[in-house]
Amino acid sequence: MKAVILAAGEGARMGPLTASEPKVMIPAGNRPILEYAVEALVENGIRDLVLVVGYRKERIQSYFEDGGKFGARIEYAVQGKQLGSLHGLWEARALVRGPFLTVNGSNLVDARAVTDLLESGDGPAMIIAESETPEKYGVVALSGHYVETIVEKPRHPESNLVNGGLYLLDASVFPIVEPLLEEGHYDVPSLVNALAAKARIRAVRTKGTWLPALYPWDLLKLNAHVLARIGDLQSGTIEKDVTLRGHVVIGDGSRIRSGTYVLGPTVIGKGCEIGPNVVMYPSTSIGDNVKVQAFSVIENSVLMDDVFLGPQSHVSNSVLASGVRVASNLMASADKAEAQVEGEWHSVERLGALVGEDTEVRDGVVIEPGSIVGARCRIGPLSRVRGNVPNGTNVM
Amino acid sequence: MCGIVGYAGHRPALPILLDALHRLEYRGYDSAGVAVLEDGVKVAKDKGYITNLEAGLPEWTGVTGIGHTRWATHGPPSKENAHPFYDCNGRIALAHNGIVENFAALRDELKGRGHTFLSQTDTETIVHLVEENYKGNLEDALRAALAGLSGTYAILAVAAEEPDKVVAARNFSPLVVGLGTDENYLASDVPALLKHTDRILYVMDREVVVITPKSVRIIDYDGRAIAREPQRVSWTLEDAERGGFEHFMLKEIFEQPQAIHNTLLGRMTEVDANGFFEAGFEGVKLLACGTSYHAALVGKYVLEQIALVPTTVELASEYRYSPTPTERPLVILLSQSGETADTLGAAREAKRRGCRTLGVTNIVGSSLTRETDRTMYTRAGLEIGVAATKTFTAQLAALYLIAIRMGTERGTLDPEEANRLRDELRALPRHVQTVLNQAEKVEELARSYASARDMFFIGRGMHYAVSMEGALKMKEISYIHAEAYAGGELKHGPLALLTADTPVVAVAVRDRNHEKMMSNIGEVNARGSPVIGIGTEGDKDLEKFVDHALYVPQVRDLLYPVSVSVLLQLFAYYAARKRGTPIDKPRNLAKTVTVE
Repeated sequence: MKAVILAAGEGARMGPLTASEPKVMIPAGNRPILEYAVEALVENGIRDLVLVVGYRKERIQSYFEDGGKFGARIEYAVQGKQLGSLHGLWEARALVRGPFLTVNGSNLVDARAVTDLLESGDGPAMIIAESETPEKYGVVALSGHYVETIVEKPRHPESNLVNGGLYLLDASVFPIVEPLLEEGHYDVPSLVNALAAKARIRAVRTKGTWLPALYPWDLLKLNAHVLARIGDLQSGTIEKDVTLRGHVVIGDGSRIRSGTYVLGPTVIGKGCEIGPNVVMYPSTSIGDNVKVQAFSVIENSVLMDDVFLGPQSHVSNSVLASGVRVASNLMASADKAEAQVEGEWHSVERLGALVGEDTEVRDGVVIEPGSIVGARCRIGPLSRVRGNVPNGTNVM
Repeated sequence: MCGIVGYAGHRPALPILLDALHRLEYRGYDSAGVAVLEDGVKVAKDKGYITNLEAGLPEWTGVTGIGHTRWATHGPPSKENAHPFYDCNGRIALAHNGIVENFAALRDELKGRGHTFLSQTDTETIVHLVEENYKGNLEDALRAALAGLSGTYAILAVAAEEPDKVVAARNFSPLVVGLGTDENYLASDVPALLKHTDRILYVMDREVVVITPKSVRIIDYDGRAIAREPQRVSWTLEDAERGGFEHFMLKEIFEQPQAIHNTLLGRMTEVDANGFFEAGFEGVKLLACGTSYHAALVGKYVLEQIALVPTTVELASEYRYSPTPTERPLVILLSQSGETADTLGAAREAKRRGCRTLGVTNIVGSSLTRETDRTMYTRAGLEIGVAATKTFTAQLAALYLIAIRMGTERGTLDPEEANRLRDELRALPRHVQTVLNQAEKVEELARSYASARDMFFIGRGMHYAVSMEGALKMKEISYIHAEAYAGGELKHGPLALLTADTPVVAVAVRDRNHEKMMSNIGEVNARGSPVIGIGTEGDKDLEKFVDHALYVPQVRDLLYPVSVSVLLQLFAYYAARKRGTPIDKPRNLAKTVTVE
């Protein structure tokens, strides 16, 4: 059986984190979110994968190539205009026959969820999951064990069961897809609703993982989740008097300087320079080619590739996207925060700063909890940033 | 320059040979052929791409055979001149990569002794020499034939009388053995064999190899056995696949952030100065050919400004003809493949002149590593596209590292400045990514100029070298006639060629030459030629003086060539794609040039 992974979307709600990366390539535990879906499928013996790509497709193709490195055989279908997930599935129609899986590439699913779906039997089926905030997702109404409807983001959800973004379908659905697209229904749930009127779609509850990446702070949850499973693998150079506690992974060519104290789970990529005297708390991911200078403290955060973090910085529950350069003394502390995405306010239990790629932060900057700083901004020395800063802004 | 492959095992040889030839197609593809041992020796060959050959092939099931993909040197591409060649009796077949220098004299002698020649190639002389010496043992016959031969070669031969054996010999042209279980392989290059094995034996110059399904034997020209351990190569076959990209070249352009990162990986913090650069030379000479030569030209500025060491650059193919000066510079040789014949020749010449040598190459275990005192590897990964991209920028990254190391060891580079430089190098992969993110914009622009007949690239200082590389890429893959000029040279002649139909690409980043470049752009504007300016991000003024502006991130002067080159690669690629040229295999070009 083949699987079609929908990976074409930009993920506008992820804000500055998708300024040049497709959403599915955002790293959690130093691996793109999409890789976990690929891994979950391969673990279930599903090796023939169709990746539907679009926005910044080269980033995905450069990483996954023909799938060999991941034990898979990958074909690519290009979705020229990213109208929606159903339109993406349609673009893969020539590459599938008979029954196939459809996976939303930007959710974190594990092998267990895939197994549960496959073992539930033949015929159309989908994974449903429980959510504490169903109003943010597609809420699934059931009739017995079967799906009745999916309602997208209802104001008053009728249940806490939401769409897991993992479907077992059959190529015979494509004739239904075409008229839906013509009527302007571009998302897979529209297909489920149309199909539910004609056939029975099993709703499969899973004990596996389903974690959606919808908003930028979801990344911290995903990151902590995948780090909980890491082992210990340390290469590179670890200088004298470095303390490593818990599970810590350190990549090739990295140097951890004296006096650095790392509490796992933490993963440090390749070619990094950390320290001296840096402290890292769980659950932290440091990408490749990152430099963290003396006396900085990092806590439950994601620093993507090529980040430069100058001395005496404090980064907590924060995300610094690729290429962020901090001169020194950044204060990005965490607290209960109100964050704004696409005009909507969200209350987040504990959040620091979210900083977009290639932004340059000069000395002594304070970024208040819940602030979202865009990509390619320049934040002048001793600035105080509160709220959202659009891409490319100069803050003096 | 050609690709060769041999197989002795238990499976039908034909599909294995053809698959391997496809993987060697980058080495040449104007004709191809195979020989399989089955009721004697069967040979099939044809002009053109390997798919042409495949189209007309019978289903031979013989388990021993050789194959060849050709890039013409002697005799035009044709079916007659394609390898392998038979001897007069059709009992021996032979394929060859390289050049027989004394072939004209040999050919006359052989004809005098009654041999019939069916082609214009130099190779055919070898098979007849083997025929004359054949007394039932192919390796003995080949050794005897080689005694009368001068030139460069990797040769494969099979004989009807010895149906489970392939014999090979090497002098200068690359040859590797792949070890399998009850089967063994020979090929010009490792990627051809990765599908079957990762255990590789490197064959050295003046060695003969005999493979059978059960054995691999290496002997010297006197017949003495040589012991050698196989090496494991870490490439996977997947590295050689295109992974959804339309061309290898585009895939490789997009791999550059990773390639540069890997080249710099772990070397920034290396403080254990090992003294190689410390003393014992007054200056540096950089030798290379083609794209590597352009990297060397940039390298001159890098070494002179970071390490403060006077540096000269020469084409490796011209070096031996240059006068032998009395001083002995450190000679740095750059070759992506490490097999470029001209560069290997220059390495030997430099040694002969008593110079210390450093090789910079992308291929572990390549010939250059054996011809030089030290090797520095660029770690760009396998490059398949004939037009070099990621190996070029990785060479630049390697040159920055060499300069920092040299300056540090010689005390000419202040430690604090060295630290700053390292931090700025760290940002290079990111800057390249920023350029790649503009691919759509570059594509749009390139498509609008793809119908140009001529194109000019101008720049000053190190950007003259970068312009030369930009023009080379354009020529290689789009077949647009492209020339590079130093900004100040336009007025000394080339201005006469400018018309409204000749686009000019001007590198005008905010470096010390910026003002001068802007006045050169003015000269071009006055002739009505459209100007594509490459400037520094945020330089809004540029747009007032050029027809189109493309931008690269701001860096210190010395680091601009990396991101500017990537922009020019994209420009050439998209122009070529619009023109529909065979980007990964341009006509008359081969990836690794193993002839001089």
